[in-house]
Amino acid sequence: MKIGVFIPELLRHLFKKPATVDYPFKKLEVPRDFRGSPYLRPELCIVCRACERDCPAEAIEITAVNEAEKRFRMIIHNDRCIHCAQCVDSCPTEAMLMDDKFEISDYDRHNLKMNWEFVRAVVKPKSEPKTS
Amino acid sequence: MKFQIPIGPQHPALKEPISLRMTVEGEIIREADIRLGYNHRGLEKLAEQRTWIQNIYLTERICGICSHSHTTCYVQGVEKLMELEPPKRGLYIRTLVAELERIHSHLLWLGVAGHEAGFDSFFMYTWRDREIVMDILEIISGNRVHYGINTIGGVRRDLDDGQVKHILDSLEILRKRSEYYKNLGTTEPSFVARLAGVGYLSKEDAIALCAVGPTLRASGVPMDVRKDDPYAVYGEIPFEVCTADTCDVLGRTVVRIQELFQCYNIIEYLLKNLPAGPVAVRAPRRAKPNEVVSRYEAPRGENIHYIKSNGTDKPERLKVRAPTLGNYAATIKMLKNGFIADVPLIFAAIDPCICCAERAVSLVDVRTGQEKIISMNALKQLSLKISAGKVRKREAEWPL
Ligand code: SF4
Ligand code: SF4
Repeated sequence: MKIGVFIPELLRHLFKKPATVDYPFKKLEVPRDFRGSPYLRPELCIVCRACERDCPAEAIEITAVNEAEKRFRMIIHNDRCIHCAQCVDSCPTEAMLMDDKFEISDYDRHNLKMNWEFVRAVVKPKSEPKTS
Repeated sequence: MKFQIPIGPQHPALKEPISLRMTVEGEIIREADIRLGYNHRGLEKLAEQRTWIQNIYLTERICGICSHSHTTCYVQGVEKLMELEPPKRGLYIRTLVAELERIHSHLLWLGVAGHEAGFDSFFMYTWRDREIVMDILEIISGNRVHYGINTIGGVRRDLDDGQVKHILDSLEILRKRSEYYKNLGTTEPSFVARLAGVGYLSKEDAIALCAVGPTLRASGVPMDVRKDDPYAVYGEIPFEVCTADTCDVLGRTVVRIQELFQCYNIIEYLLKNLPAGPVAVRAPRRAKPNEVVSRYEAPRGENIHYIKSNGTDKPERLKVRAPTLGNYAATIKMLKNGFIADVPLIFAAIDPCICCAERAVSLVDVRTGQEKIISMNALKQLSLKISAGKVRKREAEWPL
């Protein structure tokens, strides 16, 4: 045992690059599978409601605007979303996707709401809803 | 003269709300009492109103550090209820994330131990090295903390060759760094002297008080769910259960450092033997009425989920026994007859996660409720007798 063995390590670190980046000026790239916020591609949505049913935070709300015209509205309450991407996994037509933004804070939670009004699409599901 | 010192629920020495009441004589703790319930979130009740799928994300949020432990424990149980057999590759990736999580948790703990022992540069360095693991986890799963990699019937993300290579390369750096921390002890006497002899928990007590995880293994009991009741693919992976017999905080540090090396070996084995194929199978929405107990070796110890299904798409009951809860009784034992100044260290040594452990529980009151009146002389003799056997080990040796 001897005293001060940590000193070489300390000195070595004087010449090392910092482990952090200058955040607001320099931004790290997010990984490929990063789970940002979910968004809808309305032209693909067949309104199967799989995403609404599986969302653990109950952040997805689908309402019928006009049943006869098959017009629907989807609201994603991003303030409630826990960014788990289960909606993406559940969607049979890949209508739901995740973006890669991470600076999404806002002063008012209602500004985080996103909504789409669209006519139900007629596409053949690529897969069965993965969790049915 | 006896004093009662309350620490918490909010206190700078504690990172999470818990209330400790200690009866002290001078500097020595005679009685300790832990009170829980400041962080109860009603999570088990909530789970009964959520579907099997939704509950994965709910259990993930029981804890930030062992988020994978809780989902794996839950998902394993549900898979048993649904009679699903996840594909091999899925299980391998699940185990890989589990071991990466163990590394990040142990490195985090090492840092905290350094911090509590007053060795803050150690704290900074281990945490910087922990970033390597966090980056690997981010690359595999997409996010740093809640990986969301488990799903019922397998995992959600696959690994490609680039990722495998990245992990293997990073492992080399981690190995080197851990080797350095391992050797540090032999040459840094103040660190070892601070940890040795603190928070003594004998082998018998550890078993009797149902301690779990590194706390138990540091008392010389080679108990590990991965070995005793292999889940996932642990049955086919060669690894050793690490123990120490010093029964103190030093032993707990040593066990965790040794486990780091086992983790590196396990990860290397997993990546080199990664089978091809799908990563998940389709899960039904409902589970037949049944019940299951699922066990999992989390970085902090044995994690138990009890799940009961009733034929619907929601569980009838989900009970979570987090490892920290299993260690409370042992912590009280460790605190007794120790110094007040050792409280943060002893407490940190079980790697407590209060919010994990806060379930609807009625904790048995450990205090005897009796106050003995003894003369000042008898007291002095008592304290001499106790502190005679408990002197700080000046000549403590790093056992690695
Ligand atoms: S990412 Fe998760 S929480 Fe957010 S909308 Fe999709 S399913 Fe719901
Ligand atoms: S799961 Fe996909 S197709 Fe179905 S409602 Fe949601 S977004 Fe539309």
